Amino acid sequence: MNKQHGYLNLSEQKQQKKLNLQSWILTAPAMLWLTFFFLVPYLIVIIYSFLTPDIYDIRFEFSLESYRQIFSGTYLRPFLISFRMAFLTTILCLLLAYPVAYFIARSKEKTRNTLLVFIIIPFWTNLIIRIFSWRIFLATNGVLNDILMQFGLISAPLQIMRTDLAVGLVMVYVYLPYMILPLYSVIEKIDFTLLNAAMDLGANEVKAFFRVTLPLSVTGIFAGSILVFIPALGAYLITQLVGNQKSLYIGQVITYKIKNIPRNWPMASALSLTLLLIVTLLLVGAYLLWLHNKKRKF
Amino acid sequence: MRAAKLYKSMNLSIFTLVMIFLYIPILILIIFSFNDAKIIVGWRGFTLKYYAQLFQNETIKQAFWNTMLIAGLSTLISTAIGILTALGLENKSFSGRRGLMALIYTPLVIPDILMGVSLALLFNFTRVNTGMITVLIAHITFCISYTIIVVQSRLEGFDYSLVEAAMDLGAKPSAIFWKIKFPLMMPGIIAAALLAFTLSIDDFIITFFTSGRGFDTLPIYVEGTIRRGTITTINSLSTLMIGATLLLVVLTKRIRGSLFNL
Repeated sequence: MNKQHGYLNLSEQKQQKKLNLQSWILTAPAMLWLTFFFLVPYLIVIIYSFLTPDIYDIRFEFSLESYRQIFSGTYLRPFLISFRMAFLTTILCLLLAYPVAYFIARSKEKTRNTLLVFIIIPFWTNLIIRIFSWRIFLATNGVLNDILMQFGLISAPLQIMRTDLAVGLVMVYVYLPYMILPLYSVIEKIDFTLLNAAMDLGANEVKAFFRVTLPLSVTGIFAGSILVFIPALGAYLITQLVGNQKSLYIGQVITYKIKNIPRNWPMASALSLTLLLIVTLLLVGAYLLWLHNKKRKF
Repeated sequence: MRAAKLYKSMNLSIFTLVMIFLYIPILILIIFSFNDAKIIVGWRGFTLKYYAQLFQNETIKQAFWNTMLIAGLSTLISTAIGILTALGLENKSFSGRRGLMALIYTPLVIPDILMGVSLALLFNFTRVNTGMITVLIAHITFCISYTIIVVQSRLEGFDYSLVEAAMDLGAKPSAIFWKIKFPLMMPGIIAAALLAFTLSIDDFIITFFTSGRGFDTLPIYVEGTIRRGTITTINSLSTLMIGATLLLVVLTKRIRGSLFNL
């Protein structure tokens, strides 16, 4: 009996080893690909950040100039502008997305799917086209100004294009579905009998919302905020196409240092690493906050 | 109960406003693609001439085929890698699982621009000429995380009793895979492929960093045209692209499911 048991274990172990090897083989393409084209490039970014810029290329001479400039605050402004915009976009998206997600989640199951498709269509439309359509809408001689002047609401066209207001509008527009979808998927799973129970026990609508619905949708709020905040922080296309060229966002600064002549690849590398560090700290912070929240609840 | 009604009507009105917000710019764009004016000032009558110009423009045609080539190839390769990886990750006690999962999820939470910069520097460091191949590599890199996760989420809810039943009935492992597992994975695979295709067509910033002069995709072409200010054909081009998106959404109800599993 004992012997047989030991034998079985051995064959099980063998089986395990075989399965493990099989997994290594199956996942090898992804591992190699992500190592060579995702991890290694970052190593090169780190190396380049310590080199000397050249007008067209890079010189392999050690230099700390890029970091000196970052620590002396030369690039503080683009970071602050980007941060402020990403933060405002996230808050606005949350405020708009929550009622929308709630409305969809609480409508009839059949209508739900149709409503979701309507949210997703713009999401699947090409980004640059969506930004371009806002340019037509907001331009000084654009549709919005045309309509407002026709109705005599304004006498001179409003200058909205190439302002932070335009950037904010387009960012909310572009990133809103990223907030609606995760919120919807958590709100949909909420057991609404809990809400009824709370109200039977004397809580009013407002109290029931803040004590029951909102805490239960925290995961969605976290997921949505990360999905909006991070791309908004590094956005290039939106800021480039509708933003004010006098106050550059960090995505623009990095892109210009790589693309425009005189090039400064060490500076672009150092700025990229700073952005990466900020994003990492934010994610770790969000994760700790989420853990804390989870612990408190149970 | 009155409060409940008030809530519901508030939600409905915000929903309606958001819908208007989401669709107004797109509708205006579509309408103005038929506008007979060089610049966008008011309505100057219906025309199809910008659509005609679109089909005569060699640069746009070239950009279109470049986009399709890159999207097609990166979809094919990233979906294949996605299938293999998802199958490998099925084994929960796989010793490389944690490391690989981190490697898969990290690109998703880092701004796109950083992947663009890092790949641009990689191709500079290795002195590779930028062009079609570098763009393809870049697109596969940002697609595989998504394809792996979508296919994997399909396998997560997999009903293994079917496989066990087939085994009990004496089916060969290869037959079990091709006759049972693969067909059941198919919706996930299609969803992954569609997602990869859309991501590839949509991408501007990573392509911008990895394509050299002379290899334009549609988003790169559109951006360049907007910058130069010659935008007459962009309206009609955009309208056609929106039409293609709608077709894609209508054709596949699967997209929705895959999106939530992300």
